[in-house]
Amino acid sequence: MLGLGNPELGVLMLALFVVFIMFGFPIAFTLMALGVFFGYWAMGDLIFSLLVQRSYSVMTNDVLISIPLFVFMGYIIERANILDRLFRSLQLAAGPVPASLALATIATCAIFATATGIVGACVTLMGLLAFPAMLRAGYDVKIAAGAVCAGGCLGILIPPSVMLILYGATAGVSVVKLYAGAFFPGIMLAGLYILYTMIMALLNPKLAPRLPLEERNVPIFKIFQALATSFLPLAALIAAALGSIIFGLATPSEAAAMGSLGALLLAAGYGADYSKPWRVVVMTTYGILMAVLVAWQLAPSMPDLLPVVDIPPPPRSFLTAALILTGAIVLVMLPGNSFKFAQLKESVFLTARTTAMVCWLFIGSFTFSAVFAYLGGHEPIEKFVLAMNLSPLGFMILAQIIIFILGWPLEWTEIIVIFMPIFLPLLKLFNIDPLFFGLLVALNIQTSFLSPPVAMAPFYLKGVAPSWVNINDIFRGVMPYMIIVIISMVMLYTFPQIGLWLPSYLYK
Amino acid sequence: MDQLFALIGGPKQLPLYAYLLPIPLLLWAFAAEVQSAVRSSTGASGGERLLYFVDGLSAAFGKTFGWCILILTFTTSYEVFSRYMFGAPTDWAFDASYMLYGTLFMMAGAYALSRNGHVRGDFIYRSWSARRQAGMDLLLYILFFFPGMLAFIYSGYGFAELSRRMNEHSSASPNGPIVWPFKWMITIVGCLMVLQGIVEVIRCIMTLRTGEWPQRLHDVEELDKVMLAEAEQKKQAELSKAEETGLRRGDI
Repeated sequence: MLGLGNPELGVLMLALFVVFIMFGFPIAFTLMALGVFFGYWAMGDLIFSLLVQRSYSVMTNDVLISIPLFVFMGYIIERANILDRLFRSLQLAAGPVPASLALATIATCAIFATATGIVGACVTLMGLLAFPAMLRAGYDVKIAAGAVCAGGCLGILIPPSVMLILYGATAGVSVVKLYAGAFFPGIMLAGLYILYTMIMALLNPKLAPRLPLEERNVPIFKIFQALATSFLPLAALIAAALGSIIFGLATPSEAAAMGSLGALLLAAGYGADYSKPWRVVVMTTYGILMAVLVAWQLAPSMPDLLPVVDIPPPPRSFLTAALILTGAIVLVMLPGNSFKFAQLKESVFLTARTTAMVCWLFIGSFTFSAVFAYLGGHEPIEKFVLAMNLSPLGFMILAQIIIFILGWPLEWTEIIVIFMPIFLPLLKLFNIDPLFFGLLVALNIQTSFLSPPVAMAPFYLKGVAPSWVNINDIFRGVMPYMIIVIISMVMLYTFPQIGLWLPSYLYK
Repeated sequence: MDQLFALIGGPKQLPLYAYLLPIPLLLWAFAAEVQSAVRSSTGASGGERLLYFVDGLSAAFGKTFGWCILILTFTTSYEVFSRYMFGAPTDWAFDASYMLYGTLFMMAGAYALSRNGHVRGDFIYRSWSARRQAGMDLLLYILFFFPGMLAFIYSGYGFAELSRRMNEHSSASPNGPIVWPFKWMITIVGCLMVLQGIVEVIRCIMTLRTGEWPQRLHDVEELDKVMLAEAEQKKQAELSKAEETGLRRGDI
């Protein structure tokens, strides 16, 4: 028909999609419809079986299960009112260091965004909390805006992040390896942000004046107390979820479920109204009971630590009882709590909506890419790329530049779910490890939040900032952090071991 | 009793069906959601009330099955504890997990659509007038959405019906549960989506007439949207206050 061979049809389908994406129709349905039309054209009734098979494979996908669970954990923590305590404690801890407020901002963002994975919430919350605090302390608008925006976006890079799950599901790379691989690059990027801010403050103290002495001289005991009640539980939650994934104790979805359970407990324990003593008693008793149960369970496996012989393991019904008790504790602590049933409901509903958005996008994209592959649309693209006679390095740079540019108008979900399947078959031609490519993409996508014209983070900050703050100042403040992202990409490319050492060490 | 067990896949599957227990609660939540949609539409014309009713129906499905996430959290945690602390992995947790996850996101599809929650590439779309947006949406709903969804319903029906005739059981675990109710969901959700799609098309036509997007039902929003709206309001209030006291907009 029309004298087109199948591969040309594939390219036509892709081109049409790029055109239609600009018309602003929900992308999931555009993808699905184009897949159905072109599939029907090329293979007739077979497309219907293909459509339903691909949809069913999304419904039973064991990688994507972790998405709603991580999203749920994120919404609970977001609504648990943890952020301001976390910021204040880190601010106290960073007291005497230059640019302490900016450092505390970046660190708070990194931890909070890592736990929630929601960039918009992190930037707006910090824009209301940390940004005015920095301006009041006499910080330069640019450096304050840069710290909030750049820090707020770290959450989708530092594992456990939803973006890496999406990449894993699209590219068929193990999410566990991606998490292990992204750990050090994520830490490195956060470290570079902090380093840059500190150096700027040292070079020009006017940019970030030190806090007055009376605000810095806080007794160490108080700092520890503040850290122990805000930073430690959250860090422990992230470390437990991430650690159990990386060390192979639990699959990502299991770790995410445990993380959600932990977040529920954290939220219930955090916001509780401890002015009534019985609540303190309940929480303490619960903690002791759980600790005893865990110790009892572990006793036979660690004879050195707990030299008590011949204890039978706790009966199975205890486990059920413990889980029921956990649920009951959450319920008991909810009244008078700042995390109420209403917040739980909101988290559940928002989780349903966000999951629906992501997974329907996957239904569309799986159908589209299956038809694209059937048509052989990759062939002309491969031929075209091979004809350019690129070296692997040249290809890598080209691919990253394309993703960087795609990041201007599009958001990361679209880039990962829709455009990655086009790049992935090309990686084989150049012998590039999809894991390594994924890490570079994850770094690269950081810029999609920061680069104009559709820069989510600066516009969100502008939305909540005092009205005299100029959007251009925010953009100018963000620019150095974007350059840092590019520097860290170059570093990762030059020293791939930053990303690849941990996965290769753990999973030989 | 034996017949009942045959239907659900044996007595070992009972724990899997334990998640049917909260059904009365969920039914109540479902009814409450539809009712609130109907109540909040009082005063609107008959046609608009029908739109709100469909919105409420989609939201009720999405929100009710949204509670699957809580059940998923608890069952998966139970599986982990059971495996590590008792060395006794359950044989139902895997089937339960993907079924809960699949139900969750499929049932929320129409809900997300009714709240304009499906991601759009809207960098150009955003700058258009409401009329132009509605016109483009209308065209693409008819051109893309309905054909795609009808194909979804049609293909899902054959798929699920075949599975039901064979009384297909899950192959992920020995003694697996039946899967055809899960497969039937494709068709059911497809119908819900079409229903919601018709409502969205009517909204587009209304916008084409009035030049303004009609009001949607109030619902929980992302934190950043809430805060941006609040900040916007605050700035407006400050601005009008400043104007009242004689300051002009230029200095702010």
